Amino acid sequence: MGSTYNEHKKKWEEQTKKAIERFPERKDTFETSSHIGIDRLYSGEINEKYVENIGFPGQYPYTRGIQPTMYRSRFWTMRQYAGFGSAQETNERFRYLLEQGQTGLSVAFDLPTQIGYDSDDPMAEGEVGKVGVAIDSLADMETLFDQIPLDKVSTSMTINAPASVLLCMYIAVGEKQGVPKEKLTGTIQNDILKEYIARGTYIFPPKPSMRLITDIFGYCQEYLPKFNTISISGYHIREAGSTAVQEVAFTIANGLAYVDAAIESGLKVDQFAPRLAFFFNAHNQFFEEAAKFRAARRVWAKIMKEHYKAEDPKSWKLRFHTQTGGSTLTAQQPDNNIVRVALQALSAVMGGTQSLHTNSRDEALALPTEESARIALRTQQIIANESGVADTVDPLAGSYYVEELTDKIEEQVNQYLEQIKDMGGAVQAVEEGYMQREIHHAAYETQKKIESGEEVIVGMNQYKIDEEVNQELLRVDEALEKAQVQKTESLRNNRDQARVEQALNRIKEAAQDQTDNLMPHILEAVKAYATVGEICHTLRREFGEYIAR
Amino acid sequence: MNRKIRVLIAKPGLDGHDRGALVISQALRDHGMEVIYTGLRQSPDQIAQAAIQEDVDIVGLSSLSGAHRSLFPKIVDTLKKYNAADIPVFGGGVIPPEDIPYLEEKGIKKIFTPGSSTDEVAKYIRRLVDPDKSESVKPPEKIAHIGIAVHHIEQALPFYTDTLGLSLKDVEEVQSEGVKVAFLPIGETQIELLEPLNEDSPIYKFIEKKGEGIHHIAFEVSDIKDRLKNYREDGVPLLNEEPKKGAHNADVAFLHPKASHGVLYELCQHGGEKS
Repeated sequence: MGSTYNEHKKKWEEQTKKAIERFPERKDTFETSSHIGIDRLYSGEINEKYVENIGFPGQYPYTRGIQPTMYRSRFWTMRQYAGFGSAQETNERFRYLLEQGQTGLSVAFDLPTQIGYDSDDPMAEGEVGKVGVAIDSLADMETLFDQIPLDKVSTSMTINAPASVLLCMYIAVGEKQGVPKEKLTGTIQNDILKEYIARGTYIFPPKPSMRLITDIFGYCQEYLPKFNTISISGYHIREAGSTAVQEVAFTIANGLAYVDAAIESGLKVDQFAPRLAFFFNAHNQFFEEAAKFRAARRVWAKIMKEHYKAEDPKSWKLRFHTQTGGSTLTAQQPDNNIVRVALQALSAVMGGTQSLHTNSRDEALALPTEESARIALRTQQIIANESGVADTVDPLAGSYYVEELTDKIEEQVNQYLEQIKDMGGAVQAVEEGYMQREIHHAAYETQKKIESGEEVIVGMNQYKIDEEVNQELLRVDEALEKAQVQKTESLRNNRDQARVEQALNRIKEAAQDQTDNLMPHILEAVKAYATVGEICHTLRREFGEYIAR
Repeated sequence: MNRKIRVLIAKPGLDGHDRGALVISQALRDHGMEVIYTGLRQSPDQIAQAAIQEDVDIVGLSSLSGAHRSLFPKIVDTLKKYNAADIPVFGGGVIPPEDIPYLEEKGIKKIFTPGSSTDEVAKYIRRLVDPDKSESVKPPEKIAHIGIAVHHIEQALPFYTDTLGLSLKDVEEVQSEGVKVAFLPIGETQIELLEPLNEDSPIYKFIEKKGEGIHHIAFEVSDIKDRLKNYREDGVPLLNEEPKKGAHNADVAFLHPKASHGVLYELCQHGGEKS
């Protein structure tokens, strides 16, 4: 036993040495205000269970984090989600952010784009440019990334049902800039299962949707090796009202469904698993949240190694982005939200997140203003630079409470996973509405607790004040919709219509042929300036539309 | 007629966040209503048609994407187009407070903002749809007193005691209001003389503006808290949203005179809180 421990420790020391060569630590020595030295890693009583379950950071099963030195070398990526209005406005915001030293972009699309409707579609009325940028065709995408070199930035796109279309537009913009596909970096959300469960921007039924996803896996594995092909998201599941355990369980269940689908489509696990990424929520209960992240890593690592026999350690590592919980924010006394966000962000950092979005205080009222968005970013910077919590790896490890919570969450997650497996997997469970029901029960229970006062929400059901809500709020100009509609209509009149129709026809044929990969056909259509709506309508006719029960 | 209240809960527009819609549907069912939930992505026309086909008493809309300004009024208009303007429409979601007057002007009866309790919504619907059957409006029990603003109680008193022959029951100072009050019983009610104690007193300002005279009429009630809540939900303008302590340690609250065409009414509950 002692020898296993020493082996692991030695291995960790070697890993650390290598890691530091690549990413030197932020300081030569770390210490507290009283000049007490801060070690890279603390561990308590060492026994077999410790080595098996907790281990060293950067080592299986990654309970303590996926890198050997964690934030001693580099802080998590501070990645704030942005985008609203027209492609041009968003482009200006992006270029401003890049000038400020941000290296990653995160694109929010409006709802019509997310559901595959063009801005001039009657279904899009009132929604154009509201919750994100409106993209109808490659022309809009060219505007969005105008003067932004795609070989220098990584771009995260919150897009799911039409993910292939937007990814193809990104590839096409790259080509126009002279950037080969192989050099593109970024992430597409591409997680359709949670759309049925919680977020609602689905288009097609689950089975053809899964095919679109595995087509992306296959294509990217070959042509975009540096691109994260999916961000498997628990965030929205939690926002819909789930518990912490349900968030992790259903997310991992969805993840396993993608793994199964990809293997079934002929890929080997180590070909695509290293490019899977996750996205979680940071909610109110501090210790449970920190434990949740630790447990999620351990559950995923064990399944990938033991069940799928993945050999590449990168396939075992659960890398994740975190966003603080939007639904925890209150419209009452909105400045209190700054404090909530700070605590939630701290739990994500204690849980070892790779990147983090902190919400703005006014999100319960409207889209954030620039000032609110800045405070949100400053919150992360204060945690990183001032609190000292990033100076040692996984500081909560060994807490009796946190380790017990981590074990219990893992145990309950595994129970759910067994249950979902017995139902025939996540796709089946989603079709039967199982996860939706479980989440709804949890959400209703929470609402009742809040209304009875059993759960205290400061400023909302206790400590209320008479207040005039009189905050400056961000509004999207209503004239924008008209302008975007005109732009798209004029695009339709000024392109090679025969080429568009030919390309759409090829998509139709490819949709009927399970063995074909849709990606190259969609790329052709995109380059011919076929719109998001036209491509999605073509696929709707072949695949049908999903209707929630 | 003893049928259940029928409610259509609808999600207009494209946003997929239906936690609120689902929770409110469940809560209204728990309140004994029949709830039809449309599911996501309903056009104004689909919602209006569903409301008519399902013969609902009221329609509730939920939107979190910012599309409420264009979509909510459209549903009201579509109902009108189908001669169903009698079906009231309410809404909720992420809606900035300054949009509420606009939506109300466009015919949306009521907007519930984040943090509204489901009980409030249920009660609102019951009162709006079925005003007779819901706890039928209970009239105040009697006139508790008539308040008369005077410069000095001492100077006014002789008229009441000597000329009218009423007897003085007691005199009390209510510091929170900056007044000294005198009560003179008459039949089942009383005359209350109000004298300002300082220049901040509302009575001082009243006399400054209007001179001495009738200041307010007080109703005796036994349910002041619930009553205020109901009035608040019905949009009755109030000067006090919560009861405060008045003379004789009674719980009191004033309605805004614009609610009652120019008369200042006070609600007054003696003998402590009945809840």
